[in-house]
Amino acid sequence: MQRRSVLKNLAMTIGGLVSLPAWASGWTPDSLGAISTLSVDNEALLADIVETFIPETATPGAKSLNVHKFAMRMINDCYGEAAQTTLQQGLALVDSTAQQTYNKPFSNGDAAQRMDVLTKVSASTDPTGKAFVDMVKKLTIQGYMNSEYYLVNVEKFNMAPGFYHGCVPVSKLAVNGSK
Amino acid sequence: MSFLNIDSVKDRTFDAIVVGSGISGGWAAKELTGKGLRTLVLERGRDVKHITDYPTTMMQPWEFAHLGQLSKEYIDANPVASRCYANREDATHFFVKDAEHPYVQEKPFDWIRGYHVGGKSLMWARGTQRWSDYDFDGPARDGFAVDWPIRYADIAPWYSYVEKFAGISGNKDGLAALPDGEFLPPHEQSCVEKHFTDQMAKRYNGTRPVIIGRCAHLTKPQPIHYQQGRAQCQNRSLCQRGCPYGGYFSSNSSTLPWAAKTGKMTLRPDSVVHSIIYDEKLGKASGVRVVDAHTKEMTEYYAKIIFLNAACLNTNLVLLNSKSSRFPNGLGNDNGLLGKYVAFHNFRTTISAEHEGFQDTTTEGIRPNGSYIPRFRNVFKQETDFLRGYAAGFGSSRATSVDTSAMGEDLKASLMQPKYGNWRVSSHMMGETIPKETNYVALDSALTDAWGIPQLKISVGYDDNDEKMIADFHEQMTEMLTVAGFTNIRTHDKPDKAPGLDIHEMGGVRMGKDPKTSMLNKWNQLHTCKNVFVTDGACMTSTSTQNPSLTFMAITARAADHAVKEMKKGLL
Repeated sequence: MQRRSVLKNLAMTIGGLVSLPAWASGWTPDSLGAISTLSVDNEALLADIVETFIPETATPGAKSLNVHKFAMRMINDCYGEAAQTTLQQGLALVDSTAQQTYNKPFSNGDAAQRMDVLTKVSASTDPTGKAFVDMVKKLTIQGYMNSEYYLVNVEKFNMAPGFYHGCVPVSKLAVNGSK
Repeated sequence: MSFLNIDSVKDRTFDAIVVGSGISGGWAAKELTGKGLRTLVLERGRDVKHITDYPTTMMQPWEFAHLGQLSKEYIDANPVASRCYANREDATHFFVKDAEHPYVQEKPFDWIRGYHVGGKSLMWARGTQRWSDYDFDGPARDGFAVDWPIRYADIAPWYSYVEKFAGISGNKDGLAALPDGEFLPPHEQSCVEKHFTDQMAKRYNGTRPVIIGRCAHLTKPQPIHYQQGRAQCQNRSLCQRGCPYGGYFSSNSSTLPWAAKTGKMTLRPDSVVHSIIYDEKLGKASGVRVVDAHTKEMTEYYAKIIFLNAACLNTNLVLLNSKSSRFPNGLGNDNGLLGKYVAFHNFRTTISAEHEGFQDTTTEGIRPNGSYIPRFRNVFKQETDFLRGYAAGFGSSRATSVDTSAMGEDLKASLMQPKYGNWRVSSHMMGETIPKETNYVALDSALTDAWGIPQLKISVGYDDNDEKMIADFHEQMTEMLTVAGFTNIRTHDKPDKAPGLDIHEMGGVRMGKDPKTSMLNKWNQLHTCKNVFVTDGACMTSTSTQNPSLTFMAITARAADHAVKEMKKGLL
């Protein structure tokens, strides 16, 4: 319903000249859609990996923001076959490394154990390990910093009305809480 | 039956036909309907209604599955279209798919197109600078093309006319090489851009001005803009999606609804123009042949005057395909020049740099514009070993970065506190290319498109003059950035970048004084078929360095005014 209120504001901005177009009510918040590139188990594992990179604290972590689904979507749609293979092999490597090191699945480890596993995978003699960790970490950061949560609460993103100031003191912005 | 036929012909007869609904077609529609002519506007693509048909315009960044990035599947299927800077996940619906509209690249050429009502006026970059006498004089002085049949004085009032209606923001800079216009308030330069401007003024004694860009944005709408249903630009910088505020000028938000309000316009989307009909008895054009985009059925439409605004290369195509026994090589093509002397703007190279000062300042918000460096080479006299010159865009931002080395709570904490880096600036060259006979378009002798129309064969490339200009841009800009205290200066030429991505293709149906050496007269009429007017990029005799759209608008309004006057005198 957010779009509807934006459009209402828009209509007011330009003096009621705008009638709401048909697609305004057809919006769903989950723009990612269904992604079935990974098995349910592997998807859960990936969710725990992104959560290890950016955990829930007083604020949401990557898992609850569905950053793992974003990563799957990007790898599947934009990255090509080599990256898809890296994803599959990397997940298997994470699982086997967790078993070898702690004798339990990755997801059953605590935060320190999980981070240790990812560090070990990254340093693995299998080059897939580093490629996998780097790719998923990059996507986790990208997905997190472009999530609705981050853009609205941290960046104070507001689509309109916008503005531009060419020369403002850095300190003033720090006080306002945006970058 | 015969009565029906007569009715049918009557239904298909108008005072004027405009081929194309982009920037220049929209202006032709507005001017001709405004002067009372029943006008048929033909658009080969689908209808796009202002606001209603901008499906992504209000989407938040996180609502796109790929954060704006194009999918691999799309890029693989559309290598040409996906190279356009404005074609992102939020705008693919406005870009022509490679496979649907094939053309022949005799030399590599990235032909970027928007086939829908409004054309590229929806996705353009909105730079709008006037030409000066130095630009219209250029060919006569340097001898690199034929003399323009008009000068700045001929077009200056028409620049004013279109600027007031379209809404152009800018600063009155008082530059001989870049005349001031009817400006709305300018955007603001950043402190580093101001610094560069000040340093250039000081170090080059006013010979290398740097200004805020002039662009088609309503920074402060006037009554005429509210009457069009447009409102103030909201600084979203999401223009390629179509602007629901009408904050920037497009045919969809401005000229076409204005034309529709007269009740004189018939807009017919999905109408692919095949050719212009030449009536040998009358000695002039009598109408156009249109292929329905869906049924492929051909219909003829008739009018006293025809404005050809299909966008440069398609206008060339339509004329080349308008063959008759009088004009076996294309309409108006007695001299064999049709399709030749195509030129463009060279956007092949950029330069970037950093400034280590101004650490306590940054920018805030978004500006749909940048600074601009008008042409300073060979303006007043020939001073280099290459012909003509280049303008350049100039932009700046304060870079931020986050430390991503950690993971877990440490990483999360650093993401919340981006650190400021140095100010970064970059500049892209917009070089004038020289119209040459060897840069041409022609009809392919064998291949046709889905509508049975010959495919366009494009043979356009860079030359030595372009290479010299690129080298000079690197040299001069490096010097300018150095004296202004910038560091880490890097040039980024892309020799493999094909022409076309500038989307500033011009020529092929050039204006001139002499029918032996040009296609159009000073009123944009075909020399040998006076009721056909060409007022899009195809008419350009030379290209200068300014973004061309404003000049297309002014030339179109001027030609439409002339056309109606001539019609009323019974001369067309």
